[in-house]
Amino acid sequence: MTTEESDLVLVKRVQRGDKTAFDLLVRKYQHKVVKLVLRYVRNPAEAEDIAQEAFIKAYRALPQFRGDSAFYTWMYRIAINTAKNQLASRDRSPIAYDLDLNDPEESHSVQTKLQDPDTPEGMALTEEIRGIVNSAIEGLPEELKTAIVLRELDGLSYEEIAAAMECPVGTVRSRIFRAREAIDKRLREVFEGGLGRTEEMV
Amino acid sequence: MNDERPEVRQESRQVERDSQLSAMFDGELASAECELLARRLVRDEALRGQWSRYALIGAALRGERGVKLHDKVAHRVQAALSQEPTYGDASTSDVAANSTRSNSAANASLGDRWMRFARPVVGASVAAGVAAMSILWLRTQGPDVHVLASTPVTESIVLQAEPGDTPTDTLIAQAVPQPEPAPVSNGEPERYSTPAPSSQTSIAPPARFATYVVAHSEYSGPLARRMALLGIVGTEAQADELAEADAAAAAAAPGTVAPGTVPPNTVPANTARGAVDNAP
Repeated sequence: MTTEESDLVLVKRVQRGDKTAFDLLVRKYQHKVVKLVLRYVRNPAEAEDIAQEAFIKAYRALPQFRGDSAFYTWMYRIAINTAKNQLASRDRSPIAYDLDLNDPEESHSVQTKLQDPDTPEGMALTEEIRGIVNSAIEGLPEELKTAIVLRELDGLSYEEIAAAMECPVGTVRSRIFRAREAIDKRLREVFEGGLGRTEEMV
Repeated sequence: MNDERPEVRQESRQVERDSQLSAMFDGELASAECELLARRLVRDEALRGQWSRYALIGAALRGERGVKLHDKVAHRVQAALSQEPTYGDASTSDVAANSTRSNSAANASLGDRWMRFARPVVGASVAAGVAAMSILWLRTQGPDVHVLASTPVTESIVLQAEPGDTPTDTLIAQAVPQPEPAPVSNGEPERYSTPAPSSQTSIAPPARFATYVVAHSEYSGPLARRMALLGIVGTEAQADELAEADAAAAAAAPGTVAPGTVPPNTVPANTARGAVDNAP
């Protein structure tokens, strides 16, 4: 089974009236969609708004989705169109802040936003998660690290990874799972220690 | 040594399930397992959290700049979709299912009532059908009569024997087959003869018919059963009459009875039939 088919299982569940299945698709692709929209708008908060709108549009159009293309490909087009429409409706360039640059305070604010337009809490959380994941990866045995990197960074299939690592596909599946489990364990510890509360603030 | 304690088994199952979740996330899980796990995911919030963290791990590894690693978008979408209609509405489905159930219940009660009135009619129809089949079966025996009529059969010769003939003549007549009758333009045979009572196989079908009627009596009405049985009795009486007539003919011309054959009225019908069937 491919990713497309796996997503199609969830899509069909949504079409049969299961909204939770759509939530799973959103959770899976929200970061990718936000990243995609960030090509058009450089404000992460705005990108999240557009991503949200794109997902809602996708849900409304889902009864017409026949599975001719992969769900993410279809979602990709919706997200791009939503971002473009958003820009067109505002009739402005991707980055434009209606601020008085003569005001030193506002000028400083604009500079801050251009450099790091997100809120400090959000970025702190993101950086913290990133740090946890990276340190967890570093602590993994070499074969687990290679497997998860080939999968997540290079986007290889299990079969391709198996060929690259010269091991059975079942071993690849096991290695990727064990790598994720090790990272997830570290994340859970941190979330239970207060990271989740920070997320709620965000 | 069996270390399969319940908690060990449960942990093993959980590891297997998490492994499946990881494979499903990558689109590498078999279709059937994927369906089952999707069903599980829908009702297991902890598993959904794990699914969410798998997505987060991927995003963190890719180091996507500007992408905040949280589920804010998912939470907002979920909140917004709570106002949206549900496709293949589950409540509608439930209503439809209930409606289907009540309809089927209504249909069942209607069916019961219908069956109560229709049962005698159906029984009578079955009996009538059986009767019609037996009549058709008897009619299909008609061509056999023609065959008997056009074929030089021993019994026909016996019936034609004259009182003045000697047994030897008769025996010679039996031994020498009659020449084939010339074909008639209208397809009818030149002469007709009545088959011997022993060859009248019409007694056997009513016997089978009687067995059939008895076996299926629960589907037939009393009137239909009575009619069928009357039919059987009538057929048997006719057979008896024919057998008696044969016996009388044999008594009038004792020398015409072929050696090795037995008068039909002295033995059961099927035995007599067998004797004729085996006759040269």
